Amino acid sequence: MSLVLMFLLGLLVGLMLCGWQHYQFRQQLEQLLRKLPAQFQDPSVLNPLYRLRRSIEELLKTQYISQQQGQMWAIILEVAPLGYLRVDALNQLLWCNPIAREILQINRWQSGQVRLLLELVRSYELDQLIEMTRRTGQPQQLDWVYRSTTIAKDETAIPSPYAIALRASTLLLSDDHVGVFVENRQPIVEARQARDRAFSDLTHELRTPLTSIQLVAETLLPRLQNPEKQWVTQMLREIKRLMGLIQSCLDLSRLSSQGGEMLNPQAIPFASLVQMVWQTLGPLADRKAITLGYHDPEKLEIWVDRDRFLQVLLNLLDNAIKHSPEGAEIQVRITTIAKEPKNWHTIDIIDHGLGFREVELPLIFERLYRGDASRQRSGNDGLDSPLPNQGSGLGLAIVQQIIAAHGGKITAQNHPQTGGAWLQIQLPTFTQS
Amino acid sequence: MTLSTSASTSPHPTQLERALKQLSQEVLRMGTLVEQSCRLGHQALFAQDFEAIAALTPIELQIDRYYRDIELECARLMTLQRPVAQDLRLLSAFMQLVRDLERIGDYAQDLTELAIKLYNYPPHPCLGEIEQMSQQAQGMLAVSLVALADLDPGAGAELKVMDDTIDDAYDRLYHTLAQARDLQGVVEPILLMVLAMRHIERMADHATNIGQRVAYIVTGQRG
Repeated sequence: MSLVLMFLLGLLVGLMLCGWQHYQFRQQLEQLLRKLPAQFQDPSVLNPLYRLRRSIEELLKTQYISQQQGQMWAIILEVAPLGYLRVDALNQLLWCNPIAREILQINRWQSGQVRLLLELVRSYELDQLIEMTRRTGQPQQLDWVYRSTTIAKDETAIPSPYAIALRASTLLLSDDHVGVFVENRQPIVEARQARDRAFSDLTHELRTPLTSIQLVAETLLPRLQNPEKQWVTQMLREIKRLMGLIQSCLDLSRLSSQGGEMLNPQAIPFASLVQMVWQTLGPLADRKAITLGYHDPEKLEIWVDRDRFLQVLLNLLDNAIKHSPEGAEIQVRITTIAKEPKNWHTIDIIDHGLGFREVELPLIFERLYRGDASRQRSGNDGLDSPLPNQGSGLGLAIVQQIIAAHGGKITAQNHPQTGGAWLQIQLPTFTQS
Repeated sequence: MTLSTSASTSPHPTQLERALKQLSQEVLRMGTLVEQSCRLGHQALFAQDFEAIAALTPIELQIDRYYRDIELECARLMTLQRPVAQDLRLLSAFMQLVRDLERIGDYAQDLTELAIKLYNYPPHPCLGEIEQMSQQAQGMLAVSLVALADLDPGAGAELKVMDDTIDDAYDRLYHTLAQARDLQGVVEPILLMVLAMRHIERMADHATNIGQRVAYIVTGQRG
């Protein structure tokens, strides 16, 4: 009897152990299932093994799709018309596409090799750009000319220099990796240079015959009587206008090619410059009873070439006067703002006229752009105007070039309150180095 | 094996390996700056580009900074990390190499000073050949930096050939200028040109030295 009892007892213990193990197994399975991401939790079906199998199938499918997408993006970057390369946290080149190879002349690298970018592309600017991207955590952009000396095949031959204008745009990726897009700007640079050369050559060619015409007309004038005298006087007026236009063209092309070289900057109180210009424009302003509202609480000095900046102010204030209605005020303000990495003087010139048309705004600083008929020259015939290039369309282009030569920039918009033109000039302040 | 992989081949680099890699990068950076210096010196002297002179000064200061920092770092690593074999050769070669690079940078700046003085005189017929010498010297610097990046011990021989070309040109031009007689006006342009040739020849020598140091890193022998 006791044997049967013991046997039954043993069986019971065995079954309990079995049940306990089964329960443990199920608990582990449930724990595993809980580890999966939320979308794979499917509580509707209770059998955990089935759920596990379904989840694994879903995960594999998702992984496959991700892989396909990753490959697609890699192919897209490979054939992109822009150069792209990626470096890791130690500045080792991980990947670059064919265009980047061509532009940067990366000749001694195969994908899979571990090499520093500096070993392959000896460009200090690019290296520092990548470092700055990591330091600031912000995307950066740089325009520079990448120069390298190509090594001649023959040791006695003269190596030829390689120079290409590039624009690099960087972005910070995960794990301190940096991606760099490289764009070939050489065609644009060459086109711009060719255009400037053509412009300059043309204006030089025009000047010579015009000078001789002027001389003849001036010699003729005292020998004539009316009505011939009046006609020749008119001729001289038009010649003078043409000469002024050509001189402006020459100034513009010289400024755009030589930029800051021609400048002779000094520290000049802004107020004195504005006063000088306002005196010159006095008669024009008084005719329309226009007043000047000048705000300069700190009596600021700006670091500019005096004659050039007088030209800028003359141009802008003359425009403002021309477009202001009778009795209006023109506001001129100057303040300092701090914008990394240096401080800037901000000069605002605001009038109460009709302002610019929205479609014109991107074009007004273009050479020879004159806007619509309402902004054409009017009134006097240009002889006694203080501006030789009045109405030529070059005034604002010259202003922009002069400001750019000083390292500043100028923007135009319509003022939200007055509705008139609002021109803002930003100039870097001079720091003693 | 290249400069960057000579230091670390394992996926988990030691402190020394990481420091060597960082130092290699600094040396390469200094190399690119010296290349830029040479280009600017060349532009100043042969293209009368005086913007190049202004651009050169900050680069020279930066080169000097790199020279001091790299030398200090090499000394520090040698005492604290006590490297052996190729790593030790790498560090001692770096210390010598940056001296050569710094000298090349100084000669480039000397060329700009000569450019300012030479500007007052009409161009001399020999200037064309001196320009070729300068281009070849720049080529040699490029070869030596590539050899450093690739740790190529064979570049030393190539550099020797190029150095011989420059030495021959130097001797030929020196003979031409030294034998010039019946001169009109002052002798200063001749002096300036001989000085320029000398500087360029020295730059080429230093580039050859760099090639030799690279060979030393790899083989332990001065090629």
